[in-house]
Amino acid sequence: MTLKKILLPWMLIVLFTASCFADSIRISQVDSSSLLLNQNIKLYISATDDSGEPLTELEQSDFKIFESINQKLFKTVPEITGFRSGVNYTDGVNFLLLIDNSESMYWTLEGKKTEIEADRRITIARQAVKSFLSSMKNPNDNVGIALYNSYFTLLSKPSNELKTVITSLDSIKRPTGDAIYSEIYGSVKLAVKEFDLFKGRKAIIILSDGVNNPSYSHTNKINQQFGAKNVSYQESIQELQLEGISLYVVYFGMKSDKKDRHLKTIAEQSGGMTFDAYNQNQLNRVYPQIMDQIQKEYIITYKATMEPADRKYVKVDYSDGSQKRSVTRYYISSSVFGNPIKGFNPLQLILVLLAICLLWLLSRMRFEKQRKKPSIEVLNAGAGKLSTQVLTLGGEQTVIGSSPSADMTIAGLPAVEENHATVVFNPKDNTYALKGSGKMMVNNQVVSTKVLEPGDLINIDGMTMIFDEGSETENNK
Amino acid sequence: MTTFIRKLVYGFIGLLGGLAAWPVAEVLLQVQSSFPSFLVFTVSVGAVFGAIMGAFLGSSEGIMLSIKPRIVPGIVTGAAVGVVGGIVGFLIGQGVLLFISEIVFHSNRSLRSIGIPISRVVSWSFLGMFIGMVEGVRALSWAKIKVGLLGGIIGGVLGSILLEFLRTWYPDFIFARLAGLMVFGMLIGAFYGLFEKRMSQGILRLLNGKLKGKEYLLVQRKIKIGSSAKMDIQLSGYRDIAENHALLMRKRDEVTIKCSDVKSRVLVNEMKIDEHVLRFEDVVQIGSAKFLFYYK
Repeated sequence: MTLKKILLPWMLIVLFTASCFADSIRISQVDSSSLLLNQNIKLYISATDDSGEPLTELEQSDFKIFESINQKLFKTVPEITGFRSGVNYTDGVNFLLLIDNSESMYWTLEGKKTEIEADRRITIARQAVKSFLSSMKNPNDNVGIALYNSYFTLLSKPSNELKTVITSLDSIKRPTGDAIYSEIYGSVKLAVKEFDLFKGRKAIIILSDGVNNPSYSHTNKINQQFGAKNVSYQESIQELQLEGISLYVVYFGMKSDKKDRHLKTIAEQSGGMTFDAYNQNQLNRVYPQIMDQIQKEYIITYKATMEPADRKYVKVDYSDGSQKRSVTRYYISSSVFGNPIKGFNPLQLILVLLAICLLWLLSRMRFEKQRKKPSIEVLNAGAGKLSTQVLTLGGEQTVIGSSPSADMTIAGLPAVEENHATVVFNPKDNTYALKGSGKMMVNNQVVSTKVLEPGDLINIDGMTMIFDEGSETENNK
Repeated sequence: MTTFIRKLVYGFIGLLGGLAAWPVAEVLLQVQSSFPSFLVFTVSVGAVFGAIMGAFLGSSEGIMLSIKPRIVPGIVTGAAVGVVGGIVGFLIGQGVLLFISEIVFHSNRSLRSIGIPISRVVSWSFLGMFIGMVEGVRALSWAKIKVGLLGGIIGGVLGSILLEFLRTWYPDFIFARLAGLMVFGMLIGAFYGLFEKRMSQGILRLLNGKLKGKEYLLVQRKIKIGSSAKMDIQLSGYRDIAENHALLMRKRDEVTIKCSDVKSRVLVNEMKIDEHVLRFEDVVQIGSAKFLFYYK
């Protein structure tokens, strides 16, 4: 009991000290764009000390990477293929500065209405952004500016033409009418799309002096950009995570001002951070601080595990000997063929046998009709109209002609006589002969009488027919 | 077999190829984690798909011409060409993915919603193209290879688009991939049949005997007719036919028939010929077999 009393305060002191001076790590971006090409996943790791200063001396051995498809069973990744620090200096960073341009930004820092331009929050924000942009020297960095109130407005696309970007800040105008509200989550979603043409590290820095305040809730009018619904903060998170973009939040205003609590969640879930700025000096420092953190990030590239899953969780364990930290994020993963079906039953392999059996059956099928009885089959009627397409030769005589009483009546061919041709059966030698008064050809030779052979082609005024002796006759021979 | 039935049979054999390929592909997907990399996995699945579908479509000529000795070699050739097609197709698809992800799409959403489907369509289309060429490779006929190229690639593109959309539209329908593969195979077969008909110079229709009604599309530049199984048109069960009896040759818009050797006898419209340019509805007699030459 006495020992516990002695140890407890010391333990608390140790824990407190650890939390005060603890390093922290974040996975600020997961780049899975090379997953299907070379199985590589790129993690942007931000490591900072307790005062938010980036840690710059870390090594690959300080990190361990694990993956899981269910967030429970984590496997060590096959291989860490790259570890680089400070690469965002050389590769550059793509920023979009999203600035609140709602009605409250035209008040003073203390939240009072004012007509003095210099006292307005928007003026202070504009100056801070201009100062930040003027300090940027890396030609590989791209910066864009966008505003939000009831609507999202892009002032300048991300670009390294900083003069143009700075100039665009002068076009900010005070909102009027239904435009005075704050569509924070919807605007973050739209801001993500502005990075479609950029590769590498991407970050959105949003400056907000209040909470999400959708216009549709106040006006009941359909918002041209967001429709008749309020975009949820989860949608923003989803969009940022899908594109691997981190959101940094700058709360600007008085300490007592109401802040949007979900913005902190969005920042954490997307690998970003939140910052408070209660005056111009603090605001001036925030942007370079974020820039510094991002530029001093580490990039760890590793080979992803092969488990098929739509979503994979990646866990980074960091240890410097005295302290351990762990952070988990997920990325969207799918292969060229998609995921295996759930509940696959090996019995489904029977389908292979079924297909083979059907193919075998197909190979045994006879696709040609074999007629038992002798017949004449019309191949091409030409302009003629026929009473039948196949004429079975049953009797001693079978008449073909234009007469309605003929066994095969041909209409529409003027040259065809009433009893144009007759097929006569000779029972002595079991043969059929073609006789006729009208013009006819057998095998393209003009004939008046001809003993028919199987496959003979009969042509009467352009109409062609084939004589078939039938399988019964063929077998009898 | 009429040309219409022929197209249906091609389509049906392609459909059977899809039916057979599906369970094997699902088994491979189940053991995906045991593959060393996505690339090896992709190439392996492509090769297996190609082998199965190529084998099925390779059997089609032997089945349709009722030449059983031609079925097994057709299957073997088809499987071999299919393996190459699967590997090449999916490597090209992977290359397309590399290109568009590096140059065109830098957004994950665009890459997944447009880039990956495009690369999949390219992969399947190339696979279809190779599978379509199976018969041409077996017959060593450039004309037939051209038919396969066109039929395979168009059937492959349409089939793979359907395969993709079925998977996207019905993600929870576990047999969407099966349906997609069957349609994919069917379209390759059907389009092969369609182009075979369109690119043929005419049709020889057997008018008598046990193969009566069978139609032979004249696609190749040289078509050998005889009783041997090596002939392009094998006539078994007919009298007085030499192993290598006659030769059909396509030259520009004409089809010429000639005797393969001095002993063989060929009649056209009941007249003995040595060499003859065929005209519409000529009746060609080779031994006891009679053909009608025509075109549509």
